[in-house]
Amino acid sequence: MSFIDDDEALIATALNGSSYAWEKLVKRYEGRIYNYGLRLTGNATDAMDLMQEVFLGVYRNLHRFRGDAKFSSWIFRIAHNKAIDMNRRRALIQGRTFSIEDDENGEYLVPEQTTDNEPDTQLSKGQQNEEIQCMLQKLPMEQRLIVELKIYQSQTFEEISKMQEISENTAKTRFYAALKKLKVVMEESHVLS
Amino acid sequence: MSCPRTQHLLIEYFSDDLSKVTQTEIEKHLLTCDDCTAELESIQNTQSRLRQWQDDRVPHWDRGKTLFRQEHPGNEQQRRNWFWQWLPSAASFAMLCMLIFNTSISRSESGFTVSFGTADDAFDKNHLELRLAQFGELQQLEQNQMLQDFLARMDERQDGNNLRLMQAVFDQTKQTTAESFDQMYSYFEQRRQLDLENVQVSYQQLVDSDFETLMSMQQLANYVRYPGDAR
Repeated sequence: MSFIDDDEALIATALNGSSYAWEKLVKRYEGRIYNYGLRLTGNATDAMDLMQEVFLGVYRNLHRFRGDAKFSSWIFRIAHNKAIDMNRRRALIQGRTFSIEDDENGEYLVPEQTTDNEPDTQLSKGQQNEEIQCMLQKLPMEQRLIVELKIYQSQTFEEISKMQEISENTAKTRFYAALKKLKVVMEESHVLS
Repeated sequence: MSCPRTQHLLIEYFSDDLSKVTQTEIEKHLLTCDDCTAELESIQNTQSRLRQWQDDRVPHWDRGKTLFRQEHPGNEQQRRNWFWQWLPSAASFAMLCMLIFNTSISRSESGFTVSFGTADDAFDKNHLELRLAQFGELQQLEQNQMLQDFLARMDERQDGNNLRLMQAVFDQTKQTTAESFDQMYSYFEQRRQLDLENVQVSYQQLVDSDFETLMSMQQLANYVRYPGDAR
């Protein structure tokens, strides 16, 4: 019914009480936030919890959004903070952070990766995502966040350093360290398979 | 990995603001250093692997609508009111646009056609003639239909009038005839009574006359008998 399309207009309309505008706004970002959660938490349940917490935070703070920055940046900042909070809570309650199950030797179990590049034996989308999730779970949270921001959010090191409140050099070093570790994980999974 | 420059070099290589000079310097080093080249390739492979992520679909959830509606209970009604408030204006605006852009909708065998503005003259003329012919046919059909209806109504009305007139005449005639019969009956009755009285009077006169005759005859007889008796 409505032709409102840009984020600011949707926010203003949602603040006036339009559930339609709110739903449209949520629909626009839920996919990105959910997948962000999947990569950071490594499982669908935690990703769903994170997404719901993010949108609850957005709802509670929507009136504070002034439009100085893009809404997408604002919502991902909230997501970032919620992810860190959730990770901290998990660590306190269960003594673990977002991760997949360890095996008996304390090693993470990475799903077997096929080496065959034939189209009919290529990994399905679900398997690919699952593998990437498992690989990312091997990283400490601060490295995982930098990989997320750099690879999936396409942010610059300057933006990452501001968001993480670290220097640009630290961000670069963490990113490189993360990639090195992921390289090792990939090589190990190749050897195991 | 034995090259001491690898880490520093690759960190720089992945910078966003890599200058042309630094890039050339790194590429020059990579040409001569197998360790750094191998490390770069494996890091790039890792990045490619990570970029293979394809977004998963979000499972169904209520998108916070329940909470939203709880905190804004009256707004659904307002939204509906808003819709009805603006509907007439929107309809008027749409009509205005159609008039301004000379919008026409025509139906053909292939379906509906919406056209804006005026087409070229030849097409327009043919189209107009076709439309006029169609309009003429339609008008004629309509007029014929109207005439038929009118005639049918007239016939019906005329029949009704005739029927009513005949009924009135019949009623009148019936009434008149009844009155005439009544009059005739009373007249004949009167005449009959009168005749009966006349007959009665005549009979009475006749009886009286016969009685007088009888009396005269009796007197005559008496007279005739007396002289005989007397002898």
